[in-house]
Amino acid sequence: MSSMTAPQNTPVWVDTSRCKACDVCVSMCPAGVLAMVQAPNSVLGSMIEVEVPDACIGCRDCELHCPDFAIYVADRGEFKFARITDEAKQRAEAVKNNHYRKLSA
Amino acid sequence: MAFNYEKYLRTDKLPTLWCWGCGDGVILKSVIRAIDKMGWSMEDVCVVAGIGCSGRFSSYIDCNTVHTTHGRAIAYATGIKLANPDKHVIVVTGDGDGLAIGGNHTIHGCRRNIDLNHIVINNFIYGLTNSQTSPTTPKGMWTVTAQYGNVDPTFDACKLADAAGASFVARESVLDPKKMEKVLVEGFKHKGYSFFDIFSNCHINLGRKNKMGEAIQTLNWIEGRIAPKKKFEALSDEEKAVKFPTGVLKKDEEALEYCEAYSKVIEAAQNKTKVQL
Repeated sequence: MSSMTAPQNTPVWVDTSRCKACDVCVSMCPAGVLAMVQAPNSVLGSMIEVEVPDACIGCRDCELHCPDFAIYVADRGEFKFARITDEAKQRAEAVKNNHYRKLSA
Repeated sequence: MAFNYEKYLRTDKLPTLWCWGCGDGVILKSVIRAIDKMGWSMEDVCVVAGIGCSGRFSSYIDCNTVHTTHGRAIAYATGIKLANPDKHVIVVTGDGDGLAIGGNHTIHGCRRNIDLNHIVINNFIYGLTNSQTSPTTPKGMWTVTAQYGNVDPTFDACKLADAAGASFVARESVLDPKKMEKVLVEGFKHKGYSFFDIFSNCHINLGRKNKMGEAIQTLNWIEGRIAPKKKFEALSDEEKAVKFPTGVLKKDEEALEYCEAYSKVIEAAQNKTKVQL
Protein backbone atom coordinates (compact mmCIF):
# COMPACT_ATOMS: atom_id res chain seq x y z
CA MET A 1 0.00 0.00 0.00
CA SER A 2 1.18 3.45 -0.82
CA SER A 3 1.48 5.37 2.42
CA MET A 4 2.89 8.53 3.98
CA THR A 5 4.25 8.95 7.50
CA ALA A 6 2.48 11.26 9.91
CA PRO A 7 4.34 14.21 11.43
CA GLN A 8 5.40 13.34 14.97
CA ASN A 9 2.60 13.23 17.56
CA THR A 10 -0.02 14.46 15.12
CA PRO A 11 -3.31 12.57 14.77
CA VAL A 12 -4.75 14.70 11.96
CA TRP A 13 -3.17 17.35 9.75
CA VAL A 14 -4.35 19.57 6.89
CA ASP A 15 -2.92 21.03 3.68
CA THR A 16 -4.30 24.56 3.61
CA SER A 17 -3.09 25.16 0.05
CA ARG A 18 -5.62 22.58 -1.20
CA CYS A 19 -8.58 23.11 1.13
CA LYS A 20 -11.58 24.88 -0.44
CA ALA A 21 -13.54 25.20 2.82
CA CYS A 22 -16.57 23.08 1.86
CA ASP A 23 -17.32 22.17 5.53
CA VAL A 24 -17.76 18.46 4.67
CA CYS A 25 -15.00 17.20 6.99
CA VAL A 26 -16.34 19.29 9.88
CA SER A 27 -19.82 17.86 9.37
CA MET A 28 -18.43 14.30 9.31
CA CYS A 29 -16.27 14.57 12.46
CA PRO A 30 -18.03 12.86 15.38
CA ALA A 31 -15.67 14.29 18.02
CA GLY A 32 -15.60 18.02 17.21
CA VAL A 33 -11.90 17.98 16.36
CA LEU A 34 -12.20 20.23 13.32
CA ALA A 35 -13.70 23.67 12.74
CA MET A 36 -13.63 26.47 10.20
CA VAL A 37 -11.86 29.73 10.98
CA GLN A 38 -12.07 33.07 9.21
CA ALA A 39 -9.48 33.45 6.46
CA PRO A 40 -9.93 36.61 4.39
CA ASN A 41 -7.40 35.47 1.78
CA SER A 42 -9.11 32.19 0.91
CA VAL A 43 -11.79 31.95 -1.78
CA LEU A 44 -14.78 31.29 0.47
CA GLY A 45 -13.40 33.39 3.33
CA SER A 46 -12.81 30.48 5.68
CA MET A 47 -10.22 27.77 6.22
CA ILE A 48 -10.08 24.44 8.02
CA GLU A 49 -8.26 24.23 11.34
CA VAL A 50 -7.55 21.32 13.70
CA GLU A 51 -8.94 22.66 16.99
CA VAL A 52 -8.80 19.80 19.49
CA PRO A 53 -6.32 17.22 18.12
CA ASP A 54 -6.32 15.27 21.40
CA ALA A 55 -9.99 14.35 20.94
CA CYS A 56 -9.43 12.63 17.55
CA ILE A 57 -10.68 9.05 17.58
CA GLY A 58 -9.00 8.07 14.30
CA CYS A 59 -12.19 7.14 12.42
CA ARG A 60 -10.81 8.70 9.17
CA ASP A 61 -14.27 9.94 8.10
CA CYS A 62 -12.82 13.40 7.38
CA GLU A 63 -10.02 11.98 5.24
CA LEU A 64 -12.32 9.70 3.25
CA HIS A 65 -14.87 12.44 2.55
CA CYS A 66 -12.41 15.21 1.67
CA PRO A 67 -12.67 15.75 -2.10
CA ASP A 68 -9.51 17.85 -2.30
CA PHE A 69 -6.74 15.67 -0.81
CA ALA A 70 -6.37 18.27 1.94
CA ILE A 71 -6.77 16.31 5.19
CA TYR A 72 -4.89 13.29 6.48
CA VAL A 73 -5.24 11.07 9.56
CA ALA A 74 -2.38 9.13 11.20
CA ASP A 75 -2.35 5.37 11.38
CA ARG A 76 -3.43 3.63 14.58
CA GLY A 77 0.17 2.42 15.09
CA GLU A 78 1.58 5.95 14.97
CA PHE A 79 -0.69 7.71 17.41
CA LYS A 80 -2.74 6.64 20.39
CA PHE A 81 -6.18 7.95 19.58
CA ALA A 82 -8.68 9.03 22.22
CA ARG A 83 -12.02 7.36 22.89
CA ILE A 84 -15.18 9.26 22.12
CA THR A 85 -16.63 11.10 25.14
CA ASP A 86 -19.93 12.86 25.75
CA GLU A 87 -18.06 16.15 25.87
CA ALA A 88 -16.62 15.50 22.39
CA LYS A 89 -20.07 14.61 21.03
CA GLN A 90 -21.53 17.81 22.47
CA ARG A 91 -18.69 19.87 21.02
CA ALA A 92 -19.25 18.31 17.59
CA GLU A 93 -22.95 19.19 17.81
CA ALA A 94 -22.14 22.75 18.94
CA VAL A 95 -19.72 23.30 16.02
CA LYS A 96 -22.35 22.06 13.55
CA ASN A 97 -24.94 24.42 15.02
CA ASN A 98 -22.41 27.24 14.80
CA HIS A 99 -22.38 26.96 10.95
CA TYR A 100 -19.24 24.76 11.18
CA ARG A 101 -17.32 27.76 12.54
CA LYS A 102 -14.86 27.66 15.42
CA LEU A 103 -16.55 28.04 18.82
CA SER A 104 -15.67 31.25 20.62
CA ALA A 105 -13.83 30.50 23.86
CA MET B 1 0.67 6.30 7.89
CA ALA B 2 -2.06 7.89 6.05
CA PHE B 3 -2.79 6.69 2.54
CA ASN B 4 -0.47 8.52 0.16
CA TYR B 5 -2.39 9.67 -2.90
CA GLU B 6 0.52 11.75 -4.25
CA LYS B 7 2.05 8.73 -5.98
CA TYR B 8 -1.07 8.40 -8.16
CA LEU B 9 -1.68 12.08 -8.83
CA ARG B 10 -0.37 14.78 -11.12
CA THR B 11 0.21 17.04 -8.16
CA ASP B 12 1.13 20.04 -10.31
CA LYS B 13 -2.53 20.10 -11.43
CA LEU B 14 -3.84 20.44 -7.86
CA PRO B 15 -5.94 21.95 -6.35
CA THR B 16 -8.65 20.44 -8.52
CA LEU B 17 -10.91 22.47 -10.79
CA TRP B 18 -14.04 21.06 -9.09
CA CYS B 19 -16.19 23.21 -6.82
CA TRP B 20 -15.81 23.02 -3.05
CA GLY B 21 -17.38 19.85 -1.67
CA CYS B 22 -17.86 18.21 -5.10
CA GLY B 23 -18.25 14.44 -4.92
CA ASP B 24 -15.99 13.91 -7.95
CA GLY B 25 -12.93 14.25 -5.70
CA VAL B 26 -14.26 11.58 -3.33
CA ILE B 27 -14.78 9.24 -6.31
CA LEU B 28 -11.25 10.00 -7.60
CA LYS B 29 -9.85 9.07 -4.19
CA SER B 30 -11.88 5.85 -4.05
CA VAL B 31 -10.75 4.85 -7.54
CA ILE B 32 -7.11 5.46 -6.55
CA ARG B 33 -7.51 3.34 -3.40
CA ALA B 34 -9.20 0.60 -5.43
CA ILE B 35 -6.36 0.60 -8.00
CA ASP B 36 -3.87 0.42 -5.11
CA LYS B 37 -5.76 -2.50 -3.61
CA MET B 38 -5.76 -4.32 -6.94
CA GLY B 39 -1.98 -3.90 -7.03
CA TRP B 40 -2.07 -2.69 -10.63
CA SER B 41 0.95 -0.87 -12.00
CA MET B 42 -0.06 2.57 -13.28
CA GLU B 43 1.61 1.71 -16.59
CA ASP B 44 -1.02 -0.99 -17.14
CA VAL B 45 -4.00 1.25 -16.37
CA CYS B 46 -5.71 3.53 -18.87
CA VAL B 47 -8.29 6.06 -17.75
CA VAL B 48 -10.58 7.29 -20.52
CA ALA B 49 -12.82 10.25 -19.74
CA GLY B 50 -15.40 12.13 -21.74
CA ILE B 51 -16.46 15.76 -21.45
CA GLY B 52 -17.90 17.36 -18.36
CA CYS B 53 -16.74 17.81 -14.80
CA SER B 54 -16.08 14.07 -14.81
CA GLY B 55 -13.80 14.58 -17.82
CA ARG B 56 -11.26 16.26 -15.55
CA PHE B 57 -10.67 12.85 -13.97
CA SER B 58 -8.11 12.05 -16.66
CA SER B 59 -6.13 15.21 -15.85
CA TYR B 60 -5.51 14.42 -12.19
CA ILE B 61 -4.77 10.70 -12.16
CA ASP B 62 -1.21 9.85 -13.19
CA CYS B 63 -1.46 6.90 -15.59
CA ASN B 64 -2.19 6.50 -19.30
CA THR B 65 -5.06 8.90 -19.82
CA VAL B 66 -7.24 9.92 -22.75
CA HIS B 67 -9.56 12.92 -22.61
CA THR B 68 -11.99 12.18 -25.41
CA THR B 69 -14.88 13.84 -27.22
CA HIS B 70 -18.33 14.27 -25.70
CA GLY B 71 -20.04 10.94 -25.09
CA ARG B 72 -17.54 8.90 -27.06
CA ALA B 73 -15.37 7.67 -24.18
CA ILE B 74 -16.74 4.10 -24.50
CA ALA B 75 -15.94 4.01 -28.21
CA TYR B 76 -12.33 5.06 -27.58
CA ALA B 77 -12.04 2.66 -24.64
CA THR B 78 -13.36 -0.27 -26.70
CA GLY B 79 -10.57 0.32 -29.22
CA ILE B 80 -7.93 0.64 -26.49
CA LYS B 81 -9.08 -2.56 -24.80
CA LEU B 82 -9.27 -4.59 -28.02
CA ALA B 83 -5.75 -3.54 -28.97
CA ASN B 84 -4.40 -4.23 -25.44
CA PRO B 85 -6.50 -7.01 -23.90
CA ASP B 86 -4.06 -7.47 -20.99
CA LYS B 87 -4.30 -3.84 -19.82
CA HIS B 88 -6.94 -2.40 -17.50
CA VAL B 89 -9.27 0.25 -18.89
CA ILE B 90 -11.35 2.52 -16.66
CA VAL B 91 -13.92 4.76 -18.32
CA VAL B 92 -15.24 7.76 -16.43
CA THR B 93 -18.27 9.61 -17.73
CA GLY B 94 -20.96 11.80 -16.26
CA ASP B 95 -24.68 11.15 -16.45
CA GLY B 96 -25.13 13.52 -19.39
CA ASP B 97 -22.00 12.26 -21.11
CA GLY B 98 -22.57 8.53 -20.60
CA LEU B 99 -26.35 8.25 -20.68
CA ALA B 100 -27.55 10.99 -23.04
CA ILE B 101 -24.95 11.99 -25.61
CA GLY B 102 -23.04 8.72 -25.26
CA GLY B 103 -26.04 6.58 -24.34
CA ASN B 104 -25.74 4.73 -27.62
CA HIS B 105 -22.11 3.79 -26.94
CA THR B 106 -22.95 2.75 -23.38
CA ILE B 107 -25.66 0.29 -24.37
CA HIS B 108 -23.50 -1.24 -27.09
CA GLY B 109 -20.52 -1.53 -24.74
CA CYS B 110 -22.83 -3.36 -22.34
CA ARG B 111 -24.19 -5.56 -25.14
CA ARG B 112 -20.70 -6.66 -26.21
CA ASN B 113 -19.72 -7.30 -22.57
CA ILE B 114 -16.21 -6.03 -23.21
CA ASP B 115 -13.93 -5.93 -20.15
CA LEU B 116 -14.23 -2.20 -19.37
CA ASN B 117 -14.82 -0.60 -15.98
CA HIS B 118 -17.38 2.12 -16.67
CA ILE B 119 -17.93 4.61 -13.85
CA VAL B 120 -20.90 6.92 -14.35
CA ILE B 121 -20.63 9.89 -12.00
CA ASN B 122 -24.32 10.61 -11.62
CA ASN B 123 -25.00 14.11 -10.31
CA PHE B 124 -28.46 14.45 -11.94
CA ILE B 125 -27.50 17.46 -14.11
CA TYR B 126 -25.14 18.74 -16.79
CA GLY B 127 -22.94 20.49 -14.24
CA LEU B 128 -20.07 21.90 -16.30
CA THR B 129 -22.27 23.64 -18.87
CA ASN B 130 -24.50 25.25 -16.23
CA SER B 131 -27.48 23.02 -15.45
CA GLN B 132 -29.21 21.59 -18.51
CA THR B 133 -31.63 18.71 -17.97
CA SER B 134 -29.89 15.32 -18.04
CA PRO B 135 -31.59 11.90 -18.35
CA THR B 136 -31.39 11.46 -14.58
CA THR B 137 -32.67 14.87 -13.45
CA PRO B 138 -35.56 14.21 -11.04
CA LYS B 139 -39.04 15.41 -12.01
CA GLY B 140 -40.02 18.90 -10.93
CA MET B 141 -36.49 20.27 -10.65
CA TRP B 142 -35.49 23.61 -12.10
CA THR B 143 -32.88 23.48 -14.84
CA VAL B 144 -31.80 25.96 -17.52
CA THR B 145 -33.72 23.96 -20.14
CA ALA B 146 -36.72 23.31 -17.86
CA GLN B 147 -37.38 26.68 -16.27
CA TYR B 148 -40.84 25.71 -14.98
CA GLY B 149 -39.72 22.34 -13.62
CA ASN B 150 -38.56 19.19 -15.36
CA VAL B 151 -41.32 16.90 -16.69
CA ASP B 152 -39.12 14.25 -18.34
CA PRO B 153 -39.24 10.76 -16.83
CA THR B 154 -35.82 9.64 -15.60
CA PHE B 155 -33.46 6.80 -16.40
CA ASP B 156 -32.52 4.14 -13.89
CA ALA B 157 -28.95 3.72 -15.20
CA CYS B 158 -28.45 0.32 -13.55
CA LYS B 159 -31.63 -1.15 -15.06
CA LEU B 160 -30.50 0.18 -18.44
CA ALA B 161 -27.07 -1.46 -18.15
CA ASP B 162 -28.61 -4.69 -16.88
CA ALA B 163 -31.08 -4.86 -19.77
CA ALA B 164 -28.37 -4.00 -22.30
CA GLY B 165 -26.28 -6.97 -21.13
CA ALA B 166 -23.56 -5.69 -18.78
CA SER B 167 -22.33 -8.57 -16.65
CA PHE B 168 -21.53 -6.51 -13.53
CA VAL B 169 -23.84 -3.72 -12.39
CA ALA B 170 -23.46 -1.82 -9.14
CA ARG B 171 -24.65 1.42 -7.57
CA GLU B 172 -23.01 3.38 -4.79
CA SER B 173 -22.89 6.97 -3.60
CA VAL B 174 -20.25 9.38 -2.36
CA LEU B 175 -21.78 9.09 1.12
CA ASP B 176 -19.85 5.91 1.84
CA PRO B 177 -16.38 6.02 0.24
CA LYS B 178 -15.26 2.80 1.96
CA LYS B 179 -18.15 0.82 0.50
CA MET B 180 -17.57 2.46 -2.87
CA GLU B 181 -13.95 1.29 -2.80
CA LYS B 182 -15.08 -2.26 -2.00
CA VAL B 183 -17.58 -2.32 -4.85
CA LEU B 184 -15.01 -0.84 -7.25
CA VAL B 185 -12.49 -3.55 -6.32
CA GLU B 186 -15.14 -6.23 -6.89
CA GLY B 187 -15.98 -4.74 -10.28
CA PHE B 188 -12.33 -4.30 -11.29
CA LYS B 189 -11.74 -7.99 -10.55
CA HIS B 190 -14.74 -8.99 -12.66
CA LYS B 191 -14.05 -10.01 -16.25
CA GLY B 192 -16.65 -8.37 -18.45
CA TYR B 193 -18.41 -5.02 -18.60
CA SER B 194 -18.49 -3.53 -15.09
CA PHE B 195 -20.98 -0.70 -14.81
CA PHE B 196 -20.95 1.56 -11.74
CA ASP B 197 -23.65 4.17 -11.21
CA ILE B 198 -22.20 6.44 -8.54
CA PHE B 199 -24.44 9.12 -7.07
CA SER B 200 -22.61 12.38 -6.54
CA ASN B 201 -23.60 15.82 -5.35
CA CYS B 202 -23.76 19.00 -7.44
CA HIS B 203 -24.83 21.65 -4.98
CA ILE B 204 -23.73 24.45 -7.31
CA ASN B 205 -25.52 23.85 -10.60
CA LEU B 206 -28.30 21.57 -9.35
CA GLY B 207 -28.57 22.76 -5.77
CA ARG B 208 -28.42 26.54 -5.98
CA LYS B 209 -31.52 27.22 -8.07
CA ASN B 210 -33.42 24.34 -6.47
CA LYS B 211 -32.66 25.74 -3.01
CA MET B 212 -30.94 22.59 -1.80
CA GLY B 213 -28.25 24.33 0.23
CA GLU B 214 -24.56 23.58 0.40
CA ALA B 215 -22.64 20.30 -0.12
CA ILE B 216 -23.74 18.78 3.19
CA GLN B 217 -27.46 19.36 2.58
CA THR B 218 -27.14 17.93 -0.94
CA LEU B 219 -25.43 14.85 0.50
CA ASN B 220 -28.38 14.48 2.90
CA TRP B 221 -30.75 14.74 -0.07
CA ILE B 222 -28.88 11.89 -1.81
CA GLU B 223 -29.05 9.84 1.38
CA GLY B 224 -32.85 10.08 1.21
CA ARG B 225 -32.85 8.76 -2.36
CA ILE B 226 -30.88 5.54 -1.79
CA ALA B 227 -31.39 2.37 0.20
CA PRO B 228 -29.14 -0.71 0.48
CA LYS B 229 -30.33 -3.55 -1.76
CA LYS B 230 -31.77 -5.67 1.06
CA LYS B 231 -33.60 -2.77 2.70
CA PHE B 232 -34.89 -1.64 -0.70
CA GLU B 233 -36.58 -4.99 -1.32
CA ALA B 234 -38.54 -4.66 1.92
CA LEU B 235 -39.90 -1.22 0.98
CA SER B 236 -43.46 -0.59 -0.20
CA ASP B 237 -44.16 0.14 -3.87
CA GLU B 238 -44.61 3.88 -3.28
CA GLU B 239 -41.24 4.11 -1.54
CA LYS B 240 -39.57 2.03 -4.26
CA ALA B 241 -40.70 4.57 -6.86
CA VAL B 242 -38.58 7.35 -5.32
CA LYS B 243 -35.59 5.35 -4.05
CA PHE B 244 -32.70 3.55 -5.71
CA PRO B 245 -31.10 0.32 -4.44
CA THR B 246 -27.33 0.38 -3.78
CA GLY B 247 -24.75 -2.38 -3.77
CA VAL B 248 -23.87 -4.99 -6.38
CA LEU B 249 -27.10 -5.43 -8.35
CA LYS B 250 -25.94 -7.95 -10.94
CA LYS B 251 -22.95 -10.23 -11.29
CA ASP B 252 -22.80 -12.74 -14.08
CA GLU B 253 -19.52 -14.70 -14.23
CA GLU B 254 -20.72 -16.97 -17.07
CA ALA B 255 -21.17 -14.38 -19.80
CA LEU B 256 -18.57 -14.49 -22.58
CA GLU B 257 -16.18 -11.55 -22.57
CA TYR B 258 -15.71 -9.71 -25.89
CA CYS B 259 -11.88 -9.82 -26.05
CA GLU B 260 -12.03 -13.60 -25.56
CA ALA B 261 -14.71 -13.90 -28.24
CA TYR B 262 -12.66 -11.73 -30.57
CA SER B 263 -9.52 -13.81 -30.03
CA LYS B 264 -11.49 -16.71 -31.52
CA VAL B 265 -12.16 -14.60 -34.61
CA ILE B 266 -8.42 -13.90 -34.92
CA GLU B 267 -7.72 -17.62 -34.55
CA ALA B 268 -10.33 -18.54 -37.17
CA ALA B 269 -8.99 -15.95 -39.61
CA GLN B 270 -5.43 -17.25 -39.21
CA ASN B 271 -6.56 -20.85 -39.75
CA LYS B 272 -9.02 -19.84 -42.48
CA THR B 273 -11.89 -21.63 -40.70
CA LYS B 274 -15.24 -20.48 -39.29
CA VAL B 275 -15.39 -19.05 -35.78
CA GLN B 276 -16.22 -21.62 -33.07
CA LEU B 277 -18.31 -20.26 -30.19
